[in-house]
Amino acid sequence: MSPTQQLLQSADLISQGAEAAIYKAYLRQLPTSGQAKNVGSDSPCHEVLEPVLLKYRFHKRYRHPSLDTSLTRQRIAGESRALMRCMKSGVNVPGIRMVDVNEGVLGIEWIEGKSVRQLLPGGAELEDIDELEEMDEVEDTDATDALVEYGVSRDALMDMIGVEIAKMHSSDVIHGDLTTSNMMLKEKTRDLILIDFGLAYYSTLVEDKAVDLYVLERAFASTHPDSEPLFSGVLAAYEKRMGKNWVPIKRRLDDVRLRGRKRSMVG
Amino acid sequence: MPGRYRESPLKKPSRAYIALGLEGSANKLGAGVIKHDVDGSMEVLSNVRHTYITPPGEGFLPRDTAQHHREWALTVIKDAVAKANITMHDLDCICYTKGPGMGAPLQSVALVARTLSLLYEKPLVGVNHCVGHIEMGRQVTGAQNPVVLYVSGGNTQVIAYSRQCYRIFGETLDIAVGNCLDRFARVINLSNDPSPGYNIEQEAKKGKRLVPLPYTTKGMDVSLSGILTSIEAYTSDRRYRPQGEPFEESEDIITPADLCFSLQETVFSMLVEITERAMAHIGSKEVLIVGGVGCNERLQEMMGIMAQERNGLVFATDERFCIDNGIMIAQAGLLSYRMGFHTLLAKSTCTQRFRTDEVHVAWRP
Repeated sequence: MSPTQQLLQSADLISQGAEAAIYKAYLRQLPTSGQAKNVGSDSPCHEVLEPVLLKYRFHKRYRHPSLDTSLTRQRIAGESRALMRCMKSGVNVPGIRMVDVNEGVLGIEWIEGKSVRQLLPGGAELEDIDELEEMDEVEDTDATDALVEYGVSRDALMDMIGVEIAKMHSSDVIHGDLTTSNMMLKEKTRDLILIDFGLAYYSTLVEDKAVDLYVLERAFASTHPDSEPLFSGVLAAYEKRMGKNWVPIKRRLDDVRLRGRKRSMVG
Repeated sequence: MPGRYRESPLKKPSRAYIALGLEGSANKLGAGVIKHDVDGSMEVLSNVRHTYITPPGEGFLPRDTAQHHREWALTVIKDAVAKANITMHDLDCICYTKGPGMGAPLQSVALVARTLSLLYEKPLVGVNHCVGHIEMGRQVTGAQNPVVLYVSGGNTQVIAYSRQCYRIFGETLDIAVGNCLDRFARVINLSNDPSPGYNIEQEAKKGKRLVPLPYTTKGMDVSLSGILTSIEAYTSDRRYRPQGEPFEESEDIITPADLCFSLQETVFSMLVEITERAMAHIGSKEVLIVGGVGCNERLQEMMGIMAQERNGLVFATDERFCIDNGIMIAQAGLLSYRMGFHTLLAKSTCTQRFRTDEVHVAWRP
């Protein structure tokens, strides 16, 4: 059994989606050079265990094995590349802990905190709840309480979202699936972290950035009632950060909004 | 929705209803008679179809297809009525395909429907072709609230029901999957009889080698035109042997069978993937495959494996109901007729563009 498989076996399953299963596992932290002399004995009490999140793109049996292997490789590699690129440009993303393209496992930093969806009104329901159902009125107090507990105002949160997306777009990474579930507020540092780069890709096109923003706008509208002022807060911060690059994106975003459904059905 | 029961707005009929369905949105001309009985059961009284088959290497053109439909309409309808053992006077309504489809064939069939409606003083019901497929599939398989993969020569959609509307979750951004397969069948000169897709399926069974092709799922959507271009490019590859025979034993070759195999494996994987995403999103455990490509056993098999992994079920029908037919139009038409809907003569037009989500599904809770 490979070390990756051993790690997976020791891990706890957190959730399982269509694409991948998410696990929480613990990695032993290597002693830094300063501590090295203290860790002479191998006693486990000196070990620091770091929690990691493992994203395991499991084998899809319906797919031809060689097609499946190459797809899994591509997707794991693509996700790690997008994360690396973001990290180099200073976007707040989870750090990479391990990549195993053969097993289809990506290990990233475990982030303790809450998703933005949980912090905003309307998003407090469980994530896997059927979105098609009529949204039952949920008390918004939970979400507001959580924000207060974090000591972050709603406007400041929107501001942080705008800035992070602008940083990411400035480094030409397109997230591909921007939703409020894919952003987290880190408990310790109160930083906004962008997560789940499974659909991310590299592009310099204004079109792709505008579509990315449009996807987020739709996500806001569908999960959080009366989200217009929230999203305009995000855009204002984005605009400020992007500077002169904002104008073409703004123009394209207006176009994209008009498109609505992609096409009228033919034949 | 699973776990939540709402009463169906469709009441059990006070008497038996009989409807004639006419379909001709593409190269199949179909007529079928359906009966909804007082106990709520459905019975297919007849299901007659005539297909316009073109020579290998050629597709069907709107004008010629319309002419085929005009020539065969009376024969097919007479046959359907005779097999059902009824007379035209026994009908409650005449259902026809309003769209989507090819303009000229749709118009010829709509004209026939209008004429019959005037002759026998029967109300007309215009039906969305896609909804016809879905309703027939639900009726035949008994699937309650499935995610629907609708795959045919003109459509590729992943559909889920929500609040009296069939919502499109994902679809093709360019050509339909059946179109992709049929056009490739023409490139390698496969016969159009009984259908190009069927012949691709048979050829693919002999294929062994998986050639690399683009894999283009975009979120919930797929794009297929680029795959067609790249599979076509393999037919001018130096390794390609149209006869499928190597000159020497050890030679590195690509046969038409390999290409059919690779095309099916790649394209169907993409379809299963977006279907799985839709299932995960709405939390459904049932999949229903409808449309002409839905007859493909490899697609059904792959979908079955996926559903099994999710502890779900896959529902599919055979060629009688998968491929375009008159019965499905009659079924969907009669459902809306029983909800009090009919199409006025002056409004009995047809349209090439008619999205699945434009239909008000009054008969479902």
